[in-house]
Amino acid sequence: MGTLSNLLIPAVLFFALGFLARAVKSDLRVPQDLAKMLSIYLLMAIGLHGGYELGKAELTTAFNAVLWAVVLGFVLPMVGYILLLITRRVDRMNAAAIAAHYGSVSAGTFLTAIAYLDNIGIEYESYPVIMLAVMESPAIIVGLLLASWSRQRLAVTGGGNSAGVAVMQSGNGNGHLSSIVREAFTNGSVILLIGSMLIGAISSPGSMVKLFPFIDEIFMGILCLFLFEMGMEAARRIREFRKVGAVLVAFGLIMPLIGGAIGIAVGHYALGLSIGGTTLVAVLGASASYIAVPPAMRLAVPEANPSFYLTLSLGITFPFNVVIGIPLYHYFAALAAA
Amino acid sequence: MHRLFPEKLVTIITSDVLEDRLVASVRNRGASGYTILRARGAGSSGVQSGMLDIDTNIKLHVIVPPQRLSGLLDDLERLMHKGYHMTVYVSDVSVLGPEKYETSMY
Repeated sequence: MGTLSNLLIPAVLFFALGFLARAVKSDLRVPQDLAKMLSIYLLMAIGLHGGYELGKAELTTAFNAVLWAVVLGFVLPMVGYILLLITRRVDRMNAAAIAAHYGSVSAGTFLTAIAYLDNIGIEYESYPVIMLAVMESPAIIVGLLLASWSRQRLAVTGGGNSAGVAVMQSGNGNGHLSSIVREAFTNGSVILLIGSMLIGAISSPGSMVKLFPFIDEIFMGILCLFLFEMGMEAARRIREFRKVGAVLVAFGLIMPLIGGAIGIAVGHYALGLSIGGTTLVAVLGASASYIAVPPAMRLAVPEANPSFYLTLSLGITFPFNVVIGIPLYHYFAALAAA
Repeated sequence: MHRLFPEKLVTIITSDVLEDRLVASVRNRGASGYTILRARGAGSSGVQSGMLDIDTNIKLHVIVPPQRLSGLLDDLERLMHKGYHMTVYVSDVSVLGPEKYETSMY
């Protein structure tokens, strides 16, 4: 019961409301650009806040956090890729694209975790915020490398019909690999998050205090709006379950548990964070991107089907993390600390 | 009817991540201009609700003189062979003021 009452926070309840509204086919509509606008606000606020806190933090731990974020960003997609190939339900290209999503992070899940920790009064460090910023990019690159490696393998083995077509194009595919890598690091959410962190870190504390109404006081309200819309978005995807199939749905539930476990190990043992901080690192490991990675995969791995990776990350893993995952990671983070 | 002249209208429906590439191709193939609308729908890539950056589609209209059509179609075909999901169709249209479509954007 304790866990359940912890879920009774407005942000999670609004997620449920959005989901329900869509599920009962309500005529409720939000303006088209609402989610896009809100995610800009959320990234800016979390960046400013994290930067402000980091300005007061220890440099060595911050550096370690960045290092481990990169390690997580590289290791998680590999784990996901191998798991997906074992299921034999998707081809190598789809496996690479899906795996990239699971190595990257979801700011929405991260912020829900912060709301959850705030609600039960648990302190957390600001290092996970910098990890959030760092982890957006490496997974995209790993995904691209896995995809181009898969393309070459398909070329060697002959592959199927569609694979043959893809192979013909691999010559100029390599030509734009560098531009895709550049895009991975100049991605809108990465620029916004890192830029806001820098601004938060170098601004004078006095001027930052004036921003608190914007980045602190209205933050949870905006998060409610955002999760409300994301709930509707998740419900919209859930109809594609049948297309995705039970095995992939299972992957969408198991992969966050594996990522969360690795995150707890990194947060607790490698970085020595508190229970709150470890929970946040676990959430980073467990969450799947639905902002930065999908456009990159669309552009760079056109052979993969977007309805697979979008349904998995937005329709399955995101709701799972928000409702079940976060309390679970918190429980295990506390267990690791005990 | 003597005021109307035949041209080709190419319509492309695809993910908005391809916008820059399509616009570059439209320019290089000597089109005089183009129009992009935001679109939503569903198809082989699943639902494109248009609510998030990741699932917004565009509908691109470009009118080209018949002799410039095949170059543009070559580019589009190349993208489709790479695996990009897109809907492309060509219609015959009649335009007023045909000289407008002869000058490229450069």
